[in-house]
Amino acid sequence: MTDPKLTDLLEESFLRCRDLEAPLADRLNAFANELRSLGPHFQATVDALVSRLAASGAGAAAPKVGEPMPEFLLPDDQGRLIRLEDFLNEGPVALAFNRGHWCPYCRINIDALARAQEEIASERCQIAAIVPDRQRFTVWLKSDTGAKFPVLTDMDNGYAMTLGLAIYVGDALKRLMASSGWDPSVSQGTDNWMLPIPATFIVGTDGIVRARFVEPDFRLRMTIEEMLAALRAAN
Amino acid sequence: MHQIRYFLAVSETLNLTKAAVRCNVAQPSLTRAIKALETELGGELLRRERALSHLTELGQRMLPMLRQCYETALAAKVVATSIRKGDAAPLSVAVSQTVALRAFTPVLRELSRVVPGLQLKLRRGSGSEVAEYLKSGTAELAIAGPLGEAWSRLNAFLLFEEPVDLIVNRNHRLVGRNRVELGELASETLLINMECERLQELRACLEANGIRDTATHQVATQEDLLELLRANLGVAIDAVGEAETSGLCRIPLNELNLVRRVSVYTVAGRQRTTACATLLNMLRAADWRFDTGATQQRRAYR
Repeated sequence: MTDPKLTDLLEESFLRCRDLEAPLADRLNAFANELRSLGPHFQATVDALVSRLAASGAGAAAPKVGEPMPEFLLPDDQGRLIRLEDFLNEGPVALAFNRGHWCPYCRINIDALARAQEEIASERCQIAAIVPDRQRFTVWLKSDTGAKFPVLTDMDNGYAMTLGLAIYVGDALKRLMASSGWDPSVSQGTDNWMLPIPATFIVGTDGIVRARFVEPDFRLRMTIEEMLAALRAAN
Repeated sequence: MHQIRYFLAVSETLNLTKAAVRCNVAQPSLTRAIKALETELGGELLRRERALSHLTELGQRMLPMLRQCYETALAAKVVATSIRKGDAAPLSVAVSQTVALRAFTPVLRELSRVVPGLQLKLRRGSGSEVAEYLKSGTAELAIAGPLGEAWSRLNAFLLFEEPVDLIVNRNHRLVGRNRVELGELASETLLINMECERLQELRACLEANGIRDTATHQVATQEDLLELLRANLGVAIDAVGEAETSGLCRIPLNELNLVRRVSVYTVAGRQRTTACATLLNMLRAADWRFDTGATQQRRAYR
């Protein structure tokens, strides 16, 4: 059951952290701290998942620097089918795997990407966010963050799974998430509670991964500075 | 991804040695991979015995979702390797008689832009015919209302729901009414599409409301139903989409709480072609504007 008071508190905390004038890592960390003070039990469950994922080597098989990024064909927020090649014809691209429109960390992440989008576009580089959410929710995510870049739908985490990035959240976290109003089944159109490990890949026009950030701890993301540097180097 | 492939093989053979042979891998590798998957999922999937392994409760529970993800992932791989080639891409789709194609043409247009070799084979049929097309492999994918099939390999993904209303000619005596009672239809001639998936449900509903011996005209296609409505030869109780009701009026019926649930269907365990996998993802991802999940939307948008 959703507790309306908790969800309201979480949204307030989220807005405070999202609107900070601070680097992405600080904003993410600020929200993680707020969450700790709201529900300490959350912390233990999240830590348990993160250490389990680390122990199982989750994400280890994802493409490494110097390896080719596998091609994809995914619908964007307007229902257009987009290939990796479509981006590479224009320039280097940052592919940011995010968990969904409901995830505060991902909203902060995509908000930070949107803040950097003009600078990235001026260097003839691109961004694409990839989420398992359906179109109605990718449209919402774009307007929530002011993102002008495409937000692609990866149904059932199919592409993420080919990269070894799809994980099951686990029974304990599933219960906690549902009680916090973070239920991905509606937006994903399936109730399998699989999520991608957040990851960012910088891909050069030759399709080769130039930099990557793969982290089972979903509270951590590639910094905007690292992303910008890698995109510039790939250009 | 190989971890899941190994787990699916074990779930089918219930034997580690046989599963390893099927996956063309040494048994210790298979065992290691399954251990890693168990660590990731946070519990044991298998109870290992010498000859026969059993799935644990967690294993049973995870099996359908892992299979669904694996099949989508496998299809994603096929798509990725084949889109460059521009090969011929046959795609056989079955659409139920009662579903108008118009809502789906933008999706098909986008698919044909990206898959230039697309060769569409479109079939129409009643609910049972559509189910038969899927079973026999004549159709890879189907769009239809409830098929009334309990076949475990049938995957159904709900696309949208539409309310079932009274449809009448623009000159009909009931035009202008906000609502109509079912009882008021006793003197009307009902137009019935005999191929409709919800015929039994509708009949039961009418009978429950005391409407038994109404005069009927029976048709076998949706076009004929609409044509007879336009000729004012009767009234219909149907979920006709907005696009098709030009010249007709739609009036909500009291006591009737029927909806048409239109879903996309595929068969689990069959390898999907590029065109089929892509169309399935597009249909599932699309925003069907007339979706009535208003309460769900509010929850999800918070």
